[in-house]
Amino acid sequence: MKKNTYQWFLLAAGVAVLMVYPLVLKLPFPRHLMIMIFLYATLGLAWNMIGGYAGQISLGHAVYFGTGAYTSTLLLMKLGVSPWAGMLVGGLLSIGLAFLIGYPCFKLAGHYFAIATIAIGEIAQHWMLNWDWAGAAVGLTLPILPESLINLQFHTTKLPYYYIALAIFALTILVTYAIDRSKLGYYFKAIKGDLEAARSLGINVARYKFYALALSAFFTSICGSFYAQYVLFIDPDSVFPLMLSIIPCLIATLGGVGTVWGPIIGAYILIPISEFTRIHFGGGGKGTDLIIYGFLIMIISIYQPFGVIGLTKRFRKKEQP
Amino acid sequence: MALLEVKNLTKDFGGLRANDQINLKVEEGEIVGLIGPNGAGKTTLFNCIAGFYPPSAGEVWFKGENITALPANLICQRGIARTFQLVRVFKDMTVLDNVMVAAFNRTNKASSAQKKALEVLDFCGLVTKKNMLAGGLTIADKKRLEFAKALATAPSLLMLDEAMAGLNQTETAEAVELIKKVRASGITIFLVEHVMEVVMPISHRVVVLNYGRKIAEDIPEKIIQNEEVIKAYLGEKYHAARRRY
Repeated sequence: MKKNTYQWFLLAAGVAVLMVYPLVLKLPFPRHLMIMIFLYATLGLAWNMIGGYAGQISLGHAVYFGTGAYTSTLLLMKLGVSPWAGMLVGGLLSIGLAFLIGYPCFKLAGHYFAIATIAIGEIAQHWMLNWDWAGAAVGLTLPILPESLINLQFHTTKLPYYYIALAIFALTILVTYAIDRSKLGYYFKAIKGDLEAARSLGINVARYKFYALALSAFFTSICGSFYAQYVLFIDPDSVFPLMLSIIPCLIATLGGVGTVWGPIIGAYILIPISEFTRIHFGGGGKGTDLIIYGFLIMIISIYQPFGVIGLTKRFRKKEQP
Repeated sequence: MALLEVKNLTKDFGGLRANDQINLKVEEGEIVGLIGPNGAGKTTLFNCIAGFYPPSAGEVWFKGENITALPANLICQRGIARTFQLVRVFKDMTVLDNVMVAAFNRTNKASSAQKKALEVLDFCGLVTKKNMLAGGLTIADKKRLEFAKALATAPSLLMLDEAMAGLNQTETAEAVELIKKVRASGITIFLVEHVMEVVMPISHRVVVLNYGRKIAEDIPEKIIQNEEVIKAYLGEKYHAARRRY
């Protein structure tokens, strides 16, 4: 009981800090940094649903991110549809894509699945680079609309973006938490643990893998739409690159796969590193953050394969033998 | 009508005929033992019944329904649970979570799955270890957990693939008690076992396989006197085992 109250207190304190943060720090950079952390933490959480819980390592998640970004942008540009509706359509489209990709790829086990998803990510990027109607390699510059929540565009301040990103982040945490506690979560973990055993316990493995991928794709896609509205320019190199598929995986792995808080911790460690090295080294230091990531992942996988979350558990165990 | 009926089941792996025209019936409430030398096709038969391999020919009927070549998950939902010879517990999950996965076979609610899982763990004597990671259990407890998982799916037929292999005498005796308790609760049992001291006393009928063929099927008292069975399997081994105790 006491531990429970303590956890609720921590959670409430965390929420309060995040709500007040942009009101105290008014410069664009601290706000931008947090928005990026929210965005990548959400991507990490989304990836965690399929990669962490269900153990199917997807390295093609940029496909869903790009689908979200391009769907909301194209709907806005060509048909004048509100980005919020575009976000939803993009999410649904990504679920459809998840089915098309999952159907053949889920027949592959382990590393072969990962390789297939990389290939699909690359195909998608090259497709978009050559698709003239969708801007091809030049990309799409979003039309500048009047500032409003409905248009999801704000030009004078990052404050609304901050709260929108926070809301998406919070929603993803809630969904992950619900998965963790429900039949879905148990089935995902069983599939990760042992396919044959899962089957023998009445689990329709193909169906539950698809559920995991669909949920994951949906939230990844929402991040894509948000990114497009935030940056107001998208091209295949910014929303379909392989790196965008790998970073959510790194974030989740560093923090701790298959847990609610792992990807969040991962994002809070990796994204500041990424943003600050970008500031220090500028364009010439491209990839510095990835070198540091790689190093951290090596350390983590040698000393604590369950990620930073596993580390905290280990300390807690020492406290109470 | 028999609970489980296997008709002319044949399974080929390339040129190897692992099961050849096997016929057998398991009646409701029975304990049926399946024995035979290594490589006789016992596990293959289990896999064919439980939906892990599609049979090359023949049929499997369960509760009057043809379940031949249905996928394993659907067969489990229809009420056949099986354990694996080499235990397949989810080693990174706790004992309780392992059994909860199985209990979700009959419910969508986490709270009722947990309740069912705790009942089963209590029944199997694992409740004190419910928060341990399954990977950290002893082999005897892993076998027990494997058993608990199968039970938690609420089956009407439980198929045990060498549930006693690798256990010492005390553990084996405990496992036998557990099997009797399960059967008393109304679950039919079909088991593969090499430990004759287990199979013979508890089975109502014993089926013997050799080179993929059924060579005998009878009550245990007759099986141990069956010339062909002694020659193929029991012979030295059974007497040797008897001498040990």
